[in-house]
Amino acid sequence: MSDQATAMEQTSAGTVIVEARGVSRNFPQRQGLFGEKRDVWALRKIDIDIRRGEALGVVGESGCGKSTLGRLLLALDDPTEGTVTFEGQALNEMRGAPLRALRQRMQMIFQDPFGSLDPRRSIGAQIADGLRNHQTVPPAEINAEVARLMDLVGLDPVTATRRPHEFSGGQRQRIAVARALAPRPDFIVADEPVSALDVSIAAQIVNLLADLRDDLNLAMLFISHDLHVVRHLSSRLVVMYLGRIVEEGPTEAIFAAPRHPYTRALLSATPSVRRPAGYRGAILEGELPSPADPPSGCAFRTRCPLAVAACAGAVPELEDIGDKRRVACIRHADMVAP
Amino acid sequence: MTRAQRSLTLWLAVALILVAFPIAAPILPLQSTVAIDIPGRFDGPSAEHWLGQDELGRDVLSRIIWGARASLIVAFGSAFFAAVIGTILGLVGGYFRGLAEILAVRSTEIIICLPPLLLALLVITILGAGIDTLIMALTILFVPKYTRVVYAATLQTGALDFVTAQESMGTHPMRILARTVLPNIFPPLLVQFSLTVASGILLESGLSFLGLGVVPPAPSWGLMIRAARAALDVQPLLLLWPSLALAGTVLLLNVICDRLQEVITPRTAERGGAAWLRRQLGLTKPEPVADDTPLLAIRDLSVAVSTERGTIGLTDTVGFTLKPGETMALVGESGSGKTLTGLATTGLLPNALKITNGSALFRDCSGTVLDLAKLTEDQFRPLRGNDISMVFQDASASLNPVHRIGDQLAEVIAEHRKLPRAEIDTLVVDLLRRVGIPDPEQRRRAYPFELSGGQRQRAMIAMAIANSPRLLIADEPTTALDPTIQAQILRLLDGLKDENRDMGMIFVTHNLAVVKEIADTVSVMYAGEVVEQGSVAEIFERPRHPYTAALLASVPESESTRLESIPGTVPRAGEMPEGCRFAPRCKHAADICASVDGLQTLADGRRTACIRWETVT
Ligand SMILES: Nc1ncnc2c1ncn2[C@@H]1O[C@H](COP(=O)(O)OP(=O)(O)O)[C@@H](O)[C@H]1O
Ligand code: SF4
Ligand code: SF4
Ligand SMILES: [Mg+2]
Repeated sequence: MSDQATAMEQTSAGTVIVEARGVSRNFPQRQGLFGEKRDVWALRKIDIDIRRGEALGVVGESGCGKSTLGRLLLALDDPTEGTVTFEGQALNEMRGAPLRALRQRMQMIFQDPFGSLDPRRSIGAQIADGLRNHQTVPPAEINAEVARLMDLVGLDPVTATRRPHEFSGGQRQRIAVARALAPRPDFIVADEPVSALDVSIAAQIVNLLADLRDDLNLAMLFISHDLHVVRHLSSRLVVMYLGRIVEEGPTEAIFAAPRHPYTRALLSATPSVRRPAGYRGAILEGELPSPADPPSGCAFRTRCPLAVAACAGAVPELEDIGDKRRVACIRHADMVAP
Repeated sequence: MTRAQRSLTLWLAVALILVAFPIAAPILPLQSTVAIDIPGRFDGPSAEHWLGQDELGRDVLSRIIWGARASLIVAFGSAFFAAVIGTILGLVGGYFRGLAEILAVRSTEIIICLPPLLLALLVITILGAGIDTLIMALTILFVPKYTRVVYAATLQTGALDFVTAQESMGTHPMRILARTVLPNIFPPLLVQFSLTVASGILLESGLSFLGLGVVPPAPSWGLMIRAARAALDVQPLLLLWPSLALAGTVLLLNVICDRLQEVITPRTAERGGAAWLRRQLGLTKPEPVADDTPLLAIRDLSVAVSTERGTIGLTDTVGFTLKPGETMALVGESGSGKTLTGLATTGLLPNALKITNGSALFRDCSGTVLDLAKLTEDQFRPLRGNDISMVFQDASASLNPVHRIGDQLAEVIAEHRKLPRAEIDTLVVDLLRRVGIPDPEQRRRAYPFELSGGQRQRAMIAMAIANSPRLLIADEPTTALDPTIQAQILRLLDGLKDENRDMGMIFVTHNLAVVKEIADTVSVMYAGEVVEQGSVAEIFERPRHPYTAALLASVPESESTRLESIPGTVPRAGEMPEGCRFAPRCKHAADICASVDGLQTLADGRRTACIRWETVT
């Protein structure tokens, strides 16, 4: 890497703002009416750092714990084990008013642009909520600030008095972005923000998020199940399977040569306009195992084409393989293209 | 003022006028309610006694009006107090869960277990008869009903993203409950209120009848009905008046609650006529059409919405054909009319929408060709779920939040196939497994809110494929799914076609990459029109319409960091530009584009609506 690139990285990649260390979340489930409670781990031993000006991409199948991770990082939920820190403050030790005050600095954008807005209140009032809760601006300036935010995300401020049903999906997602930006956050969790949108509109929102990340130096957790979209926004990528990180590293490197069999399967399952019509790639057979009863050893072994007897032993460690990449597979060396 | 608001105002005015009578009773020139006139017993209506006289010769009119005071105070009072208490319990229990849930919700369920009359008797025996006690007894009876309704609605609303959005914004929980949750559970609350008032009036009459409510000689509708029943053969009119008052009040209240709900629920299109009226027209068998279409031929299909401002066209002269075993993709941005075309083909258009032109010829299982565009609701019902089935876009809205997903799936199967319960159970587990729900034996017992979004979508797909349809209309069925599961579902849908070679599929999607993998032919829709049509291979190789080309360019697969996006948005219905509807967003637009009129067929058999295709594509 050239000196210039290193210098760039130090300034633009910025400081770590959100940090998760050994984070696990258990949702114990009762078996039947009087049965015993069984552990159901939605997340296991997650370590991640998110820096200012960076959108960390998280991909994985639904149920793998992406949303749970997002909620933990925003203190909407507490980890069963481990800690989440925001600028060095441990979130799980905070409660009540101080926590609500801190929440102003972390916001969320949801997948469903229809479900994430209250259908009964004007969009201006909903954007203003975040301003009022934390007195971001003096009451007299709220209307002007709402107009500024709407303008920022490409909405016409005169539409502030309308209710959500008068807007299209893409416009609603812009409203949701404006609402998230209102309290001037430093960190945003975007949970599948473009999955419900049209391609051409998704492209607009992805470009908007990229601009905001750069202009406001935001830290972002960008959750998606579409690898192609993540590639456009995130320079660093985390791949999750059944509550664990299985691969992590620079997005381009992972795309060029995935080192975990699951990542490779994910890439080949993602439909592409560049493949011939009627293309049928190798399909990952089987189902995501129940988190209530995960396979021993590597959780992916029930579907993994490379699985060997040893995979049923210990859970593979997330191993550093150089080039800032980490992978949790005992056969990662066999994944290097011959 | 919208139509619903006008209607609400009207009915409120009617109610106010009626309520004014009992309120003004003390100053109205009414006769005494207790003055006995033995010679005038059971006399019919007269100039002096407009509604006649009762078994003791008392004036019926003044007893109805005074009686309304007791009856309405008891009914509205208990319904109101129960609503307040039940709503608080339900909100707190449903939102905070845990201990609050046990205290608030489970405890009220004990009340439900007790027989209502016994409970009322208990309270009244302890506190003595009278209006206050009656209100208290009925309040206790009604609280659990509200608690249940509010609890269920709160669970559902509390899981919605906009409530989480409030939490993540650091809003105080009480504020969230009052400002966000409460308004959104108002519609079911309103329904419950009108039901409770009605049952309050009935219970008042029942309890007064047993001598436990209003104490004679004070009048109430319940007491009047009781007395009139004993004298039914002497003077039947005596039963008519209080019954009319009772029925009138209940009906009026229902109408008002109905209208109120319409007014407070935001929606884009206003509701059309009554569904039962449309159903009345459909008692005949559908007319077969002489046509040789092998499966489906849509011709010039136009759908319009009727609004306050008149009829607005939503889709315009859409046409395509589908052969058995073929998959056609309808692709385009949301709002382009893909879903409407699908709904029109399944007879599921919302009330305010109508097919204004064109036909949809469909060959059913028996080989008869029917025009789906002309079928009535009754003629459609046997087709739906058997011949034609649909996978909807929005799983969370299509699943019932208070039923387990396995039960909902079993219901869909049982509706169309007579099978023993055990066999249905096996099918349910099998279907859930086929759509990729992990641990189906366990998961079928889950409620929709316990599943992640992707898993809910899978349950929905299981319901649609449960009865192996002949025409499957899949509206964005894989949009919310993960790539590996999407790949499995696409293969699953393909497999369904292999099992059933007569089946054709319309695959509605905005994802071009999926189109390329699943479909044989494509119709690209924009702003309510088909703008390009052809085989998948040809269209992806060389689009013949700038819109198709722009869509392909915005697919996030390029190497560049910035994505191509089409500037602007789809024009609103009713504000369509003349000629080519894509012109305002098209970088090749020219004056001649205003003369575009529908698809033209090119020499190679492909079809495009772009008049400048030769120069710009
Ligand atoms: N409140 C909850 N109670 C029980 N299980 C839950 C809860 N929230 C999430 N889960 C479970 O945790 C797992 C991870 O879910 P989620 O984080 O939503 O996944 P993703 O966002 O990757 O789709 C799933 O198996 C889900 O059913
Ligand atoms: S550890 Fe084994 S089962 Fe797991 S991904 Fe690697 S090869 Fe496959
Ligand atoms: S007709 Fe004109 S405006 Fe329409 S797509 Fe073709 S070039 Fe563009
Ligand atoms: Mg999720």
